Order: sequence, then C-alpha cells, then structure tokens
Amino acid sequence: MLPSTDDSVLEDTIGAQLDSEIASLKAQVQTLKTQRKTQSTTIISSRTTQTILSRLRASQKTTSTRSSQETDISPLLSTSTAQLAHNQENLYRSCAGITTFRIRDPDPNAVDDGNVLGIRFDVSTSGKFVRPYYVMLNKPWAGKTLLRIHRHTVPSCIPLASLADRYLPHGKGAAAMGDKESGAKRQDLTRFVRALRREIVGYHNRVSVIKGLRKEFKLDEKVSRKGKERERVIADISVADAEAKQVRIEWVDGRIGRAVVDDKGDVKKCVVIGEEGRDREVERRVCAGGMEGIGERLREGIY
Amino acid sequence: MTTLSIPTTSALPSTQLVPSTHPAVHRTLLRLSRQSMISLVLDWLDERNQENTAPYLLSSDDEDNDENDDDLYPPASSLAALREIYTDLQGRKGGKRDVVDRAIEGDWRDGISLYQLAMADMQYLYDHPSSQKWNALKITRLTNDQEKTSPSIPRFHPATFLRNLQQEVLPDVKAHYNLDRHATLPLLILRVFIVESPYNTSLALQSVNQNSILDSNKTFYVAFPDSSPHVFVSATFNAQSSSRGPSSNNKSLRRLILEGIPKAFSKPRERYTLQSTSLSAKNLEALVEKRGGGRTSAAGGGWSVYAEEKHGKDNPLNTQLPTPEASILDDVESNTKEEEKGLKRKREEAHDVVKRRRLVAQGRFGNTAKADDGKGIERLDIRVEDLFPEADAAEEEDLNLDDSARDRNSKRKGRRSSISIELDKAEEDDVQADGWRPDVRITLHGSHVFAGIRDLIEAGIVEGEKMPGWMTGEEGVSLGVVRDGRIRGFKGTGV
Repeated sequence: MLPSTDDSVLEDTIGAQLDSEIASLKAQVQTLKTQRKTQSTTIISSRTTQTILSRLRASQKTTSTRSSQETDISPLLSTSTAQLAHNQENLYRSCAGITTFRIRDPDPNAVDDGNVLGIRFDVSTSGKFVRPYYVMLNKPWAGKTLLRIHRHTVPSCIPLASLADRYLPHGKGAAAMGDKESGAKRQDLTRFVRALRREIVGYHNRVSVIKGLRKEFKLDEKVSRKGKERERVIADISVADAEAKQVRIEWVDGRIGRAVVDDKGDVKKCVVIGEEGRDREVERRVCAGGMEGIGERLREGIY
Repeated sequence: MTTLSIPTTSALPSTQLVPSTHPAVHRTLLRLSRQSMISLVLDWLDERNQENTAPYLLSSDDEDNDENDDDLYPPASSLAALREIYTDLQGRKGGKRDVVDRAIEGDWRDGISLYQLAMADMQYLYDHPSSQKWNALKITRLTNDQEKTSPSIPRFHPATFLRNLQQEVLPDVKAHYNLDRHATLPLLILRVFIVESPYNTSLALQSVNQNSILDSNKTFYVAFPDSSPHVFVSATFNAQSSSRGPSSNNKSLRRLILEGIPKAFSKPRERYTLQSTSLSAKNLEALVEKRGGGRTSAAGGGWSVYAEEKHGKDNPLNTQLPTPEASILDDVESNTKEEEKGLKRKREEAHDVVKRRRLVAQGRFGNTAKADDGKGIERLDIRVEDLFPEADAAEEEDLNLDDSARDRNSKRKGRRSSISIELDKAEEDDVQADGWRPDVRITLHGSHVFAGIRDLIEAGIVEGEKMPGWMTGEEGVSLGVVRDGRIRGFKGTGV
C-alpha cells in the first residue's frame, strides 16, 4: 500500500471511467446482436415470409439458369429450412419433455462403433425451463442389444442407479426390449425414462415448494419494517437432505421440526420438538396433507 | 481444570488447552503466513469464539499487581483493545515470527486450545490447497435385497455423525473433531486429531514423549461434498517417517477412523460401506467436479458440453438457431493468448491446420482440461493390457508415450506398491486367452495432466482422433487398467 500521488489518482479515475464506458458499450453491442438474431428468427418463421419464400423457391426452380445474376437466395432458403426444423425440434422438446438424438462417441475404441443414444429431458419449474438433463446410452455387449447408461448429467440426488437397476437390468437373465425370451428380466427404456422424468420433476417441484414456503413466511426478506408486519413466527424453513425429501422447520421460540415427504409430495412423518417435549398439535397439522399446504396449515395454527 | 482424570470414551473438548511452550504449537502456527496468522488471531478474538479461544486479559483484581510490569507483552484490558493491536499489526510490515511470539507468549500464554490449533490447521489447508492428497471413496449401501430401491445418498447430519464416529473409536484413543465449511467449494471438512490416551483432560496431552504426541501425522481430514454419495479422505502424506513403529501405529489409527466413517453413517436396517473409486488427487476442486453432487460427475471430457451452463441457449423456447461448432471455436480462440507458446516452433504450419487441431481437441475435451481451470489432477496411473498390436500401430503408440513422457517428465520410481496392489486386485479374475498382452504401465505426472495432453494435441504431437478415450480423463479416474482401449470396469461411468 504505497501512498499514491495525485497524478496517478487522476489517471486511474479517467481509466476506470473509460473502462466502464467500453464495458457498457460492449454490453450494448451484445444485446443489440441478440435482438437482431431474435428479430431475424421471428421474421423468417412468420407465415408471410414462408409464403414469399415458397413462391421464390418455385420461381427458382423454373428460372434456375439466370437467377444467379440478381440475388442469390439459396442461403436464405437453406436458413429458412433449418429454422423450421429447429422450430419443430423446440416444439417437441417443450411439449413432449423427453426427446432422443444420436451421438457419436469420439473415443476411437468406443463400443458398438461409437453409436450412442442420447435422451434429453426438458423440465420446467416455476414457469421456466431448467437446463436440460441428458442420459446417454450405448450397447456395450457384442451380439446383444442390451442397453447401458454410458454417460449422464443427472445430479446424484436423483436415484438414477436404482432406476437403471430396475428398468434396464443387464445381469444374468436380462433380455433386451425386442427379445422374445419369456421369464427374463426385460429392459424397458420407455418406463425407465418415464420414471426418471418423474423423479426429476418431483425433485424440482419439492425444491420450488420449499422456496414457496420461504416466500410465504417472508424468510428471504430483510426483517423489521417497524413492526408493521405480523410478528415472525417461523425462523427458518430449509431442505435437510440432498433429495429435498426432508424439510426442516425452525420456530422463533426454539422449536425444531422435521417433516419427511414422499414421492408424491405428501407429508409422511413429522416431528416437532421444543423445550417442553414434542408438540403433537403442530405435528398433526403438518402431517395432514401435501407439502405445499404446510404453510397454510401452520398459519391456521398460529393466528 | 479438573484434578481427577477418569478414562472415558468421549471426545476431547475443544476448550482443552495445549501448553503454549509445546513445540507442536510453534510448528503449527509458524507454518502460516503473516497475513493469515493475523486474520486467524482476529478470528480468535471474535465475540462468537470466546468460549473456545479466550485470550489472556488483564482482569480487574490484578490491576495493581506489579508482577506484569516487566512483561514483554503486557496483557490487554479488553477484547476490543487487543483487536486493535492486531489490526494495527496487520497494517505494518514485519515478519510472521513477531505475531506468533506475541500470540503464544503474550495473549495466549496459558495455552492454545485444541480448537485454535484446528483453526490454524484449517487455515493452512485453505492457504495451501494442494498440501493434502485426497482419496475419493463412495458410500454404498450394504444390502442383500436387490429389489428394494435405496436412497442414493445417506443423509449426513454432522452432530449425529460425530457422535456415532466417536462410539466407533476405541476407548484408549481420544480424538478432537472440528468441522468447517469450505469457503468456495460445496464441502464440509472434518478435521480429526487423534491422541493416544484414555483420558480426555489435560492428562491426555502430558505424555513422556512430547514430540510425538502432537504429530501432524495424527491429524487427518475427511471432506463431505454436498449432496453426493462420496467422501474425500486425506491420504497419509509422510508415510516414511523416521522410525517404523509410530508410522505403522498412525496407519492403524487412521484405518480405525476410516472404518468408523461408514458405521457412523449407518443406522438400524441401513448399513453402509466405503468403496474405492480409483480417484485420488491433491486438487479438491477437481474431486468436487468428478465426485460431487453436480451434473459433471458422469460426463467428463468431451461429454462435458452436455453438462455445462449455456446461458439459456439450450432452452426449448429459444428460437435462435444453434451456432455451428466451427464458429464457437473462434470465440474461444480470440480469448486465449497461448499463441506465442504454440507457434514459436511451428511458424511454418498453416493456420487452418492449427485450427483443425484445436477443433479436434475441443471435440475430445469439450471445455474441460484447460490449463488455467484449476481442476487438474497431478498423477494418472494406467496399466495397458491391450493385445500386442500390429507393427504400424505399435510405432504410433510408442511415439505418443515418448512424447508425453518427455513433456511431463513422467517416469518416477518409488511408491509403487499401493498402486500395484490395487491393479493386481483387478487382475485376479482375469482370463488370459487371446494372445500376448504385454504389461505396460504409464504414469503421467504434472500439475494438470489432462491439460497437458490437450496441449499436445493442439501442438500436433498427439493425434487427436486416434487418441484413446482414457487420455481425455472422461472416466474420472486417476488409476485404472485399460483393456481393448477402454478402462476396465467402466463400460459407462453412469452407474
């Protein structure tokens, strides 16, 4: 920490000013670029543009010999086709939720010539799509069509392994989906992806319910608006385990509660314990229904 | 202080004082830099820590006591005053020794509590992130019942865990536990400090052999990543200590705690065990990426493009066409400034050749294995058990190895035993049937092994397309047997 002279301070401030100006201009350029992209995709996807383009395409076919000297419209046409394909892809992704695609494994020694089946899960929570989850499957056993999970981006709080054990068995006596063998443990990709999507959606729902509960009791806001609000009773509501199946509730008076939620979001068990032992009244309230209603039921007890 | 010491099974209390004249206290504190030492002392002086770290203050009744007059470090009258003294030291220049001396001989002359020692050790760990080598272990459920689905992650409740762990420790060993949250990574770090004594009072620390009792070998760390079924355990680093006796002793103490961990996780009808995951590294960040609770744990190397944040570009509501791969690279290229390194030798090479190599490297590694991402593992041990190849392929393979060996300065002798044991274990159920499989062992060693391989591809030394998959680190192991070009037992990292 050397004491700086006046000159350098002056230069520093000017430099900082210029830097911030440059940064803001760059940001502006970036937003304008994205705006332009959005506009162009909107224009190219619109119905009027499509009719014009189809007319152009028809005219190009008939007069293909001399159209080159005017304007070359082939990049425009190809972009339009690509855009339409992309739109359709998006439609499937957002409505079906589970989509498949093919990947080539870059590893030269990959099994099954590097053929990999990718499955994409698009899940939305509280009005937004979260980053998609991917599961990549391959067929590592020569001569068999048994599938196996190769790579995935599913976080470990979702029990992927046990689902794979149940729906994609590959041990002794396992049979692929198309096999006719009877009595074997048959792989079932459809049920597997359904169960997995259900787990993922359930996880996100639980997390967002707990977020909603925090909002309901105004736990994320700053305290004390001069006591105009009703006095705070709940001190904290948080997730207690990785799968968000346990909810921890803390009261201001020192009581601590723990509620266990099942797959469907119903509260299964609850313990509330304070200084004078268990509070069975509140426990009953918490247990009487789904987790999204915990807040409401607690309020009834309080006020 | 209690006058009566009874052998107990409880843990050492955090308030237990270690005499400040103890050499271990000096050693622990002097390892820290001056700045960290001062910030540590300021932490000790925090109101919330007073229970465990109270300094020696001038109390009201000995104010007119002459005893303290010729004291080199006169005791301060209040916490605030003391805090001021150390804040003052922070601004001044000087060695670290005067801060340590002041703390030990002045303000904590009665002794340093075990909690303070733990804080100092943790501070050292944060200052030197690569001072420990960590093994990643998986917590798996012990069960005979295959049908029943089990929760993938055992619930971790620190207080219950510590109580259970203490029950697993033998009564003639006392441990001090300290839990700390890592500042940047989603990790909870448990420091276990073991003392061989049946007492949990000051008697435990009064041993004949003063030097060995606070040995740093008896400290070890367990890191718990958030929402992940793995734990990271620090490996004993200085295993070759002076005499054989204490060293093996420490190993058994360590094993004791290691065996205690899964038992502490277990509860009735739900038993767990620890499994090796063949990954050990000094870099906690790399471990968190490969074994943490996030999305990247089973999508390494080139697959990481599916796991990374794309800022809404992969949203199904995004109408913009995806940008083609070749132009993605242009962005990256403009940001990197490694031109001078790569082009010094090969100026004659055409630009598009270099670009192509970059593209290949991008395809194999995705956005992982960048030299500056701080997620490097420092050692990769591979045993290749491929069939002896045809002549031309063999040449190429040799070339690759020579280059990487020269570049990374790899071959290192010694400390082979544990690796060999691990690898031989995998061999037991081996069937030698089809031709000669030579025993080739490769050790890649460096600050960031996979970034090094990526650099070699970009420099054109390793051919990107033909490189086997284990060289990209996508399996997430640091120790493995390669057969038919793939790491054995990893037909998929997924499950």
